[in-house]
Amino acid sequence: MIRPSTLFWTLLVAASGYAMFQVKYEVAQLDDELARVNRQIGNGREAIRVLNAEWSYLNQPTRLDQLTKRHLNLGPIQTSQIGRLDTLPRRSPTPPAAAVAAAAPSLTPSLPATAPQLSSNAIGARP
Amino acid sequence: MKPRDDNPCRPRHFKPGPCAPAALDSPAQQSLETSQTRLVIAGALFALAFLVIALRLVEVAGFKAGESRLARGHGVEKALASRADIVDRNGVLLATTLAAPSLYANPKQIQQNQDPRRIAQKIASVLADLNESEVYAKLTSDKSFVWLKRHLTPSEEFAVNRLGIPGLMFQSEERRVYPKGSLAAHVVGFVGIDDKGLAGIERGFDEVLRDRREPVELSLDTRLQYILRDEILRQIADFHAEGGMGLIMDVQTGEVLALVSLPDFDPNSPGTANEKTIFDRVTLGTYEMGSTFKIFNTAMALETHAATLASSFDATNPIHIAGFTIHDDHPQRRWLTVPEIFQYSSNIGSVKMALEAGTERQRDFLGRLGLLKTPAFELPEVAAPLVPAPWHTINTMTVAFGHGISVSPLQMATAVSAVVNGGVLHRATIIKHQPGSSVAGQQVMSPRTSEDMRRLLRLVVERGTGKQVHAPGYLVGGKTGTAEKVAAGRYERKGLLSSFVGAFPITDPRFLVMISIDEPHGNKQSFGFATGGWTAAPAVGRVVQRMAPLMGIQPVDEDSPEIRRSLMVDSLTPQGRTLAAN
Repeated sequence: MIRPSTLFWTLLVAASGYAMFQVKYEVAQLDDELARVNRQIGNGREAIRVLNAEWSYLNQPTRLDQLTKRHLNLGPIQTSQIGRLDTLPRRSPTPPAAAVAAAAPSLTPSLPATAPQLSSNAIGARP
Repeated sequence: MKPRDDNPCRPRHFKPGPCAPAALDSPAQQSLETSQTRLVIAGALFALAFLVIALRLVEVAGFKAGESRLARGHGVEKALASRADIVDRNGVLLATTLAAPSLYANPKQIQQNQDPRRIAQKIASVLADLNESEVYAKLTSDKSFVWLKRHLTPSEEFAVNRLGIPGLMFQSEERRVYPKGSLAAHVVGFVGIDDKGLAGIERGFDEVLRDRREPVELSLDTRLQYILRDEILRQIADFHAEGGMGLIMDVQTGEVLALVSLPDFDPNSPGTANEKTIFDRVTLGTYEMGSTFKIFNTAMALETHAATLASSFDATNPIHIAGFTIHDDHPQRRWLTVPEIFQYSSNIGSVKMALEAGTERQRDFLGRLGLLKTPAFELPEVAAPLVPAPWHTINTMTVAFGHGISVSPLQMATAVSAVVNGGVLHRATIIKHQPGSSVAGQQVMSPRTSEDMRRLLRLVVERGTGKQVHAPGYLVGGKTGTAEKVAAGRYERKGLLSSFVGAFPITDPRFLVMISIDEPHGNKQSFGFATGGWTAAPAVGRVVQRMAPLMGIQPVDEDSPEIRRSLMVDSLTPQGRTLAAN
């Protein structure tokens, strides 16, 4: 006849054995998952490296220069195209109502006529 | 049901039997005692072992530390390249290592199942640089392994994979790639077939690049590198020159922002480079720099009090010595003040200034500027200067106007930086200086001398030989130099090295730009001149105009009273000031 304690221990051994194998399989699965993710990360990093190299290659200044000359109407900035904010004439604080009324229909900017050369040299335009 | 314990003297482990008192002296009793003790010890050991296992279980199961340690052990890192990247100061990629699989075939397998001719045709259609008949010959050979192509690009690999031909296989390999091509070829250098650095930073930092994961940050700025190279290329074409070189340096830190030596090569295919293109003129070439050396001569005279800005020297007649004649290229035939000597680049005046100071002080001053010994630099290609030995009076005289002493353009730029930045000599470097940390420097002349020199340099551009620098608003100050190259031990009148070295904004210099054109030939535009003032100076002006907006330098009104005053050079009549100085 089996003693109750023996039965208890036998069941416990069986249960723990089952649990152990369960955990083992889970771990194996997680291991596979980990290896897969690691492979993915590796591939991703390699792709990033390739794309970085390609980005740098496509951004060769020589190439950009040629593209700019072909497609854009831009040239090096001349000194005359650079101004300072404080050299801009100040907008009059409260324009007289008459002036506003006169200016509104023709939509002329409220900058005085004495504005410096800035506006005539559109920034970046090839002279 | 418990079995009854009939035998009172049955051996018991933990409790003495009722049959005691046992006679200890009997041999049976003694052995019983020994085995009992042994059992207790063994039991205790087992208990201890189980305890350790239990504790370890609790640790592994209960705390995360064990798990993360396990996870890190798996090799994500293996996917990283074996050599670190090289980037410029803004993080622009200059050199990287990419997986570049090589394609090989097993001809036996291919002959078994398929028609080699069709396969050769397919492969050649995908890999443009392969010859179809060659591929066919390889595929029909009697081997079981033939290379078809080494180092495929990712798109080629994809295309071959898409063909889906059994018998074609890839061997994973790595390859060093330089996306910017020849732009910074001399700085970056290149590697050999075994990934060993053979030139430039690749060689100088070979160990570091192997060991490190983070990229090596150079002080180079790709944008400035392009601007400088572009302008030098243009001058070489315009003046049908042999070559050219240039350098942009941050005068406050000694960082090299651009370094160009032309002609250059493509580090992606170092096999196509030859001795001429691989030679780094800026660091490995030494040249007699000519009149640009008068910067040091004048600074030396001012610093050693051999002359003041108001002193004047007799430049009426050429100097005859030891069979040579020293004359001026822009002869004024009169007494000249120190600023005038500098402005007109008078050889005679410079020689007299040097003689006034003496050989000893001249040698000492040039030594302090680091012009007499091999400079410390990160690139392995660094040349030692050619210094007169012994240093006679005749050497003192020629060194005054930059002949009889050969230095590399790198040394030249480093020393001029010290002259304009307030007199602090910084070691030239090609590695990015981390902002915020202080730069080691050595005071080699007084700030006062440096300020005087800045005024004189500005004078040259405003009214002297450097008038062709057109960079309005950026206050360029500099000095022209035209040296006759030495060929077979003689100076050649035709073979010139025309240079300009300038700094801007000269009121508080931040950048130094230096350009030298090797053997330029005068053209219509320059009225037939091939001197530094007509070839190198305009290029420097254009470089300054293009780089200043990028570096955030505001143009100023050069005619404003404050600027005029800060750059004024005392120019009283020579006689009056000489008297006052004496």
